[in-house]
Amino acid sequence: MRPQKIVTNVVFYLAMIFGATVMIFPVIYMFSASLMSRQEIFSTPIKIFPEALRFSNYIEVFTRFNIHMYLNNSIIVAVSVIAISAFTSTLVGYSLAKFQFPGKQFVFYFIIATMMIPFTVIVIPLYLLILKLNWANSYEALIIPSAMTPFGVFLLRQFILDLPDDYIDAARIDGSSEIGIFLKIIMPLSISAISATSIMTFVSNWNSFLWPLIVTSRQRYMTLPLGLAQFLNLYEQEWHLLMTSSVIAVFPVLVIFLLFQRKFIEGMTGMTGLKA
Amino acid sequence: MTINKPKFGYYDYIKLWGLLFCVPGIIFFSIFYVYPIFRAIQISLYKWNILERPVFIGFRNYTQMFTSGEFWNSFLVTFYYVIGVVFPILLFSLPVALMFNRPFRLREGFLAIWYIPVIIPLTVAAILWKLMFNPSFGLLTLITDPLGFKNLRWLNDPALAMPSLIIISIWRSFPYYMVIMLAGLGSIPISYTEAAKVDGASPIQNFLYITLPLLKNVLLYVSIVAVINSFQVFALPYLMTGGGPGSATRLLPYYIYQNAFEYLRMGYASSASLVLMLVLLALTIIQFRIFKDNE
Repeated sequence: MRPQKIVTNVVFYLAMIFGATVMIFPVIYMFSASLMSRQEIFSTPIKIFPEALRFSNYIEVFTRFNIHMYLNNSIIVAVSVIAISAFTSTLVGYSLAKFQFPGKQFVFYFIIATMMIPFTVIVIPLYLLILKLNWANSYEALIIPSAMTPFGVFLLRQFILDLPDDYIDAARIDGSSEIGIFLKIIMPLSISAISATSIMTFVSNWNSFLWPLIVTSRQRYMTLPLGLAQFLNLYEQEWHLLMTSSVIAVFPVLVIFLLFQRKFIEGMTGMTGLKA
Repeated sequence: MTINKPKFGYYDYIKLWGLLFCVPGIIFFSIFYVYPIFRAIQISLYKWNILERPVFIGFRNYTQMFTSGEFWNSFLVTFYYVIGVVFPILLFSLPVALMFNRPFRLREGFLAIWYIPVIIPLTVAAILWKLMFNPSFGLLTLITDPLGFKNLRWLNDPALAMPSLIIISIWRSFPYYMVIMLAGLGSIPISYTEAAKVDGASPIQNFLYITLPLLKNVLLYVSIVAVINSFQVFALPYLMTGGGPGSATRLLPYYIYQNAFEYLRMGYASSASLVLMLVLLALTIIQFRIFKDNE
């Protein structure tokens, strides 16, 4: 290797490592602070790593903070939303990709246009709608309005558009029903696009804050981000427990991310639908 | 009897199914996306605290808003925040994307590490950084103290509170936009840049005259999405500063939330939210113009 190339390589990797450190360091500190005692966090000079690994914080957030209740709600909501939206987005995406009917173009642009609607604008009318439906403090309020996203429908439509028509035609000739074609051919063939959009749906639901804050006032229905906000209010000085709760909130997303990194980034950035 | 063309043939039957499959989408997006817009316009013409009957007051909410110092403060503060977040994102994400746009050892691993802040829930990011910004035992004192800045009261200092929120937002969202740029770079055929290289183009010329023009749509997409997203940040001021100190970080979404759900001024909050939508619409159109004019 030429010396010039070695130098550029060293500079390149140093820049990479520096950037990676800046990005990851707060997260590492969160994990390490979750294992510290109360005194260790306040100590001077500041400690970055705990003296000993203490897992007692993790037991304490379950016994004192009741974090399992919030965790439970978050899981119920996320799983339901994923299950429903995987089905509905694929169905609507399929209809827009493979059928010809009057008004189809209009419906497509109608759904695309809703992507432009800022949530801040519709949040008040949506809240009033929830009140009217008597859904305040219920799982319905947390699940139903997220049961489909324009982005999900769009991505599925783009994906199904590329599937060959022959499968569908062959199934029709074999006498399969239209619902049968959707369930037995389209759904299984779209599984990679469905999983990418499901990851996106999961993350946005797991992290969602404003909507649950507005529609729940009883702890019984609060999701994890709301739980964290409450802990921050009630236990402002117990940073070790706040960090432990934060780790618990991050953990599921982190595991899915590390397992399906490529699919994950694809789904979150909508790269499946983006063509430069 | 003469044979008539069947009124309802097999293809009509398929069309009907297509329409039927589409119906859930039409109903859903009408109820949860489009109807609320019209409802917001309607509510903005009323004075309403939910508990009593709404009273029609015409455009009084709007006139009240445009003469309110608090509203204009939130408006300006929001612009401060959006500019503070979007410009660094546009500036940094392309160079970093270029760094990632070539094969090297541990590329996937580095990409994963860079991307992790994006998946952190905003509530967690807020709590974590609140600890790190603590003037006496926060982790940032490890950097600021040796530099001679003792006792920086980040979130309680009117001049530093907004930069603090901006730092968190950039940290948490920048890799997201970087990856979108990376996807854009990946879609540029290598043959283009190779051909230019053969013709004697320097790497800088290659970037300016081939990569950048081809990337224009992606840049436009990133800047539009970044503006829309940062205009709507709610959890950061809510959890970290409560809009303070004073009103230094009372971003518009938080201002709207407080008016609607703390002071129960549904009409007033709706009119503010509609102004936010119009501003976003205008900014989107302006960005389209800027990118198209450079053609």
